[in-house]
Amino acid sequence: MATEQSETPQNPKTTPKPVESKSNGEPIFSPRFRSVAAMAGWDEEALLLASLIVEDTPERESKQRKRPDLPFKTPPPSSRRKRRAKRANPSPIPSVVLGLDEEEGTNSGQEANGVKEIESKSDPVEEKKRGGGEETCTISTDTEATAVSSSSSSSSSSSSVPALPCIDRLREELSCAICLEICYEPSTTPCGHSFCKKCLKSAADKCGKRCPKCRQLIGNGRSCTVNTVLWNTIQLLFPQEIEARKASARDTKSREAERESPRDHSYNVRSRSIRPVMVSSRDVNMRRRRNLPSQDEDAAYAMRLQREEFMDVFRGTPRSSK
Amino acid sequence: MSISGGSGGAGGGSVGRGMSWCSTTSVSSSGKRIQKEMSEFGAYPPEDCSAGPKGDNLYQWIAAIIGPSGSPYEGAIFFLDITFPTDYPFKPPKVMFKTRIYHCNVDLDGNISLDILKDSWRPTLTISKVLVAIKSMFTEPDPYNPAVPNVAYLYLEDRAKHDKIASEWTMRFAT
Repeated sequence: MATEQSETPQNPKTTPKPVESKSNGEPIFSPRFRSVAAMAGWDEEALLLASLIVEDTPERESKQRKRPDLPFKTPPPSSRRKRRAKRANPSPIPSVVLGLDEEEGTNSGQEANGVKEIESKSDPVEEKKRGGGEETCTISTDTEATAVSSSSSSSSSSSSVPALPCIDRLREELSCAICLEICYEPSTTPCGHSFCKKCLKSAADKCGKRCPKCRQLIGNGRSCTVNTVLWNTIQLLFPQEIEARKASARDTKSREAERESPRDHSYNVRSRSIRPVMVSSRDVNMRRRRNLPSQDEDAAYAMRLQREEFMDVFRGTPRSSK
Repeated sequence: MSISGGSGGAGGGSVGRGMSWCSTTSVSSSGKRIQKEMSEFGAYPPEDCSAGPKGDNLYQWIAAIIGPSGSPYEGAIFFLDITFPTDYPFKPPKVMFKTRIYHCNVDLDGNISLDILKDSWRPTLTISKVLVAIKSMFTEPDPYNPAVPNVAYLYLEDRAKHDKIASEWTMRFAT
C-alpha cells in the first residue's frame, strides 16, 4: 500500500521518541484502545499482552521499529508498574491529549484516507509521539486527529469518526454480509470471506459447511475462530456500534436467562434447577432412613408386644374357656 | 451501497410477536436483517424495481418489476409476493409472481424456477439482488431450467411466436 511507503521513511526520525516516552511510562495505548479494551473486559495483563501484539503488528511492516521496542519488552514488570501507577492518576493522559488537541483544531478539516486510518490505529501512540513534528505529513496528523478525539473523551469520538469521508465505504466493507451489520467478532473462512462468528456458525448449522458468499466448502473447525486483527480494527473504527451491539447482546442474554429459568423448571428435568428438588427428595429419604426406621422399630416393637399380649389373652381365654 | 447506521434496528424486537418463544432469537435476527434490507432497498433501489412490506408484517413483502425494454414484457408492471422464512437469510425467500406472465421460468401459479431461490441460495444474497436476477430473467429466459416446458420448447423452436404470445399476455394481464 502507498501509505506504508510514505510512512516508512519517517520512521528513522521518529523512532527515538517512542523509546523515550515508553521508558517514561507514557501511555502505550491510545485511550480509545483502552476504552475498547475495557469494554472487552481486558485486565492489565491482557493489555500488556495486547501491547506485545499491537506493537508487533507494525514491526512486520517496518523493521526499523523493532529496535526501539526491545528495551520496552525486556523489563516488563517495571513498565507494568508504571502503567498501573499512571492509571491510578489519569493526569498524564490529558497532558498528552492537550498537546494534541491544538493539532486537532488545525487538522479538523483534513481528509483522512480510511486505509491509512486502519493502519495507523494499530499503533496510535507512535503516531502520537511522532506528532512532535506535526507538519511532516498528513498521515500522522490525520491519525492524531482521530487519536486525540478518541482519547479526549468517548463522546467526541463520535464526531471524529464520521469525519472520515470513506467511513461509509469502510462500514460497507467491514459489515457482515449475513446480518448486514458491522462484523461482530469476525471470523474468516478459508476462502477469505469474513462474517460475524455467530452468523457464520448459524450459516454452517442451517445451510451446510459452505461459504455463505462463494459456496466453497469450508472446514467446520477453523471457520469459527475470531480474526483478531480484523476484530480489533473494527472495534477501533466503530466503537459505538460495537458497544451498542455488545449491550444488546447482553440484554438478549439476560432476557434469555430469564426466559430459560422457568423453562428449566417445567421442561428440562436434568437441568440445574431441578437438582435441588432431587436433593431434597434424597434428603427426605435420608431422613426416612434415619428417623422413621427408629419410629417404625418402636411401633413394630409396640405392635409385637400388643400382639403378644392379645395372643396371650386369646390363647389364654380359649384355653381357659375350653 | 451503504448501510444506514443503526436506525433500522429499532423495531426488531416487536417482529417476533406471535411466534413461539423458543425461536424468538432467530426471528429477531432475521427481522433485523430484513429491516436492514428494507432501509437499504429504500436508499438504493435497483432500477425498475420496488419492494416493501405488505402491511405490519415484515416477513410479507410485495414487489413490483417493470418489464425491461427490448423484451416482450416491455413497460408492463409485474407484481410479486415475497415471503421471508423465519430463518432468513439462511433459507431463501419465497418469491412468486402475482401477475400472470408468459415465461418459461414462471408457471401458472407464479412459481419461479430460479436457481438462486432454491439450491444456489446464499445468505449473502439480498432481496434487491434477487429482484435484479428476476429482472434479468425477463430478457434472458433459461429454457433449460423451465417451469413450463411447453413455453421453453416454443422459446427454443420459434422465438418469434413465443415473443408474440408473451407480449399478448403482457398486454392482457400486466398493463
